[in-house]
Amino acid sequence: MKKSIFTKILCVMVAIASTFLFAGCGKEKDMTIKLGVSGPLTGDAAIYGQAVKNGAQLAIDEINAAGGLDGMKFSFDMLDDMHNTTKVENNYLELVDTKKVQISLGCVTSAPCLIFKNLAKEDNMFIMTPSATNDDVYKDASNVYQMCFSDNGQGTAAADFIKTKEEYKNCKVGVFYKTDDVYSKGIYEQFKARYETLADWNSVVVTSFTEDDTNFQASINSLKNCDFIFMPIYYQKASIFMQQAQGTIADDAVFFGCDGFDGIAGHLGDDLNNIAQKIAFLSHFDSNATTGKPGDFVTKYTETYGADTLNQFGASAYDCVYAIFEALKVAKENGKNFDGSTKPSAMCTILTEVLQNGTFTFTGVTGENIKWNANGTVDKLPLEYEVKPAN
Amino acid sequence: MLGFITTFIDGLSLGGVYALIALGYTMVYGIAKMLNFAHGDIIMVGCYTIAVFFASIGLPLVTILIAIIVCVIFGICVERLAYRPLRGASPLAVLITAIGVSYLLQSLAQIIFGVTPRNVVLFKLGTVNVLGLKLKVDTLITLFVAAAIMIGLTLFVNKTKTGRAMLAVSEDRGAAQLMGISVNAIIAITFAIGSALAAVAGSFTIMTTFEVKNTMGALPGIKAFTAAVIGGIGSIPGAMLGGLLLGVIEMFCNSSDLASYTIAIEFSLLILILLVKPTGLLGKKRREKV
Repeated sequence: MKKSIFTKILCVMVAIASTFLFAGCGKEKDMTIKLGVSGPLTGDAAIYGQAVKNGAQLAIDEINAAGGLDGMKFSFDMLDDMHNTTKVENNYLELVDTKKVQISLGCVTSAPCLIFKNLAKEDNMFIMTPSATNDDVYKDASNVYQMCFSDNGQGTAAADFIKTKEEYKNCKVGVFYKTDDVYSKGIYEQFKARYETLADWNSVVVTSFTEDDTNFQASINSLKNCDFIFMPIYYQKASIFMQQAQGTIADDAVFFGCDGFDGIAGHLGDDLNNIAQKIAFLSHFDSNATTGKPGDFVTKYTETYGADTLNQFGASAYDCVYAIFEALKVAKENGKNFDGSTKPSAMCTILTEVLQNGTFTFTGVTGENIKWNANGTVDKLPLEYEVKPAN
Repeated sequence: MLGFITTFIDGLSLGGVYALIALGYTMVYGIAKMLNFAHGDIIMVGCYTIAVFFASIGLPLVTILIAIIVCVIFGICVERLAYRPLRGASPLAVLITAIGVSYLLQSLAQIIFGVTPRNVVLFKLGTVNVLGLKLKVDTLITLFVAAAIMIGLTLFVNKTKTGRAMLAVSEDRGAAQLMGISVNAIIAITFAIGSALAAVAGSFTIMTTFEVKNTMGALPGIKAFTAAVIGGIGSIPGAMLGGLLLGVIEMFCNSSDLASYTIAIEFSLLILILLVKPTGLLGKKRREKV
């Protein structure tokens, strides 16, 4: 009997102690889910980083103002990497160790994101990058997701786009790409592969150039009968090509690019009017939008941060935060437990489970019913963003 | 056939620009016996001058004139400060100095103007129909101005006193000096003419590419140097022929499936010609007297 009394006392003591223990836990329970990203806030690419910072913060503020998730609030930290790969490791460690970030948006630009990804892969830290388009970003990493189209994905999307859109369906297609650039060549090859399954590739006029070329007259002469010119290149060379093409290529033709065209209007300034043809590019966001979710975003963003940094990067970051929020909401409904002290790797497991469950879709500023493929690339319909109409 | 002729004319126009630059190389080589690798960057200096002045005063022809003057002053200064002190030095030292000047100019431009290319539209020229051919006006202007400059230069060298002095210095510097020709002045004049031609070539480059950046002179410079060597370095008609040949070949390569190999083809041609004719197409064979 003596033993039994001792056991009872022990039991009571354990019970009391555990009450204190749990009470202690409750008091210190961290109710803030911490998000973080590394990106350029200074230097040449600063405009991209600032847009991401503003876009993500806008989403965080809205979510918190609406009550957060089940009593939990969200916070967001951004560290400057100046689009410099040497800064990324320190930023990553600071985000994880000091800022206690649980879920990341990776990096804003591709080259730094490749380093960030390798570090994050070891810790199984979740990444949903708003804008690192390179294909190595998502490859061989189950923790990496993209909100932007991948470089290769743009080629496929562009071919689909031309052949499904009434306006372009019957156009005579020409291609002008850069052979010594992985971005351009990658998109071109995917474009060709997809196009061959949809239409006759032999009717497409293909021209190319290399880094050192600045006189594109020969290509322009070859392309003069085309009325849809696909240019998977950056805007600097594209703007030279377009200006040289005046008078040779028909005024009602279309110059069509991918995300590399983003910035062409700013680069050309008033000279944009010298180009008679329509200029458009494949994007997931239209900064001229006035209706629907994109329209709301444009209004809110410009009211808070002005129009200077309004671009697809900010919109994409805004969507990243909301997609993470929605996925966490689904996880909570499915009975998953997490809070501000949950480890990054546990958060990653929770998020990837939801994103890969086959039913999760997300509607945001950059697309409707967005889904993610098993490799982490995004599945959504691209938009045509018109830089300028035909004169 | 029409496409062939258009490409040929575009090629001649591009070749005309190469020829103008090549003339600078070949004259300096012929007279000062040095390879001025900074010559390509004088084009860049001219183009930035055009970019800056066109943005402020807006008159294209006046701007080009200012660019020519700036380039002439620049060319003379570079010769006076960097090359003249090395007149007696080994050719290798002069060559390395020229490469150094080239990088110096590129880096200075990068510090002053940044790395972002500038878009400059000097003229808004359309196209004209010539005998059923749709040709660009700027191509034709380039072609005619380049031809006029080449004829003018040939006349200048062969008919004027200064030109003949240049020929004399080129043939035998010591003898020319004994005949009362100021070698330093002649070399300075050569640099001035070369730089002026570079400025003109620069304005044509802007008219076709619309882009100004700090490394823009490097590749045209190397290609024009190739043209000068193909034609026979030191020979003025050789530089013209080499430039035109290179321009036409480049344009035909670019309009075919060989576009990615254009530069490789151009430089292979250089090797081939040097193998068959080491002095270049119109180069004079120098007889060594023992």
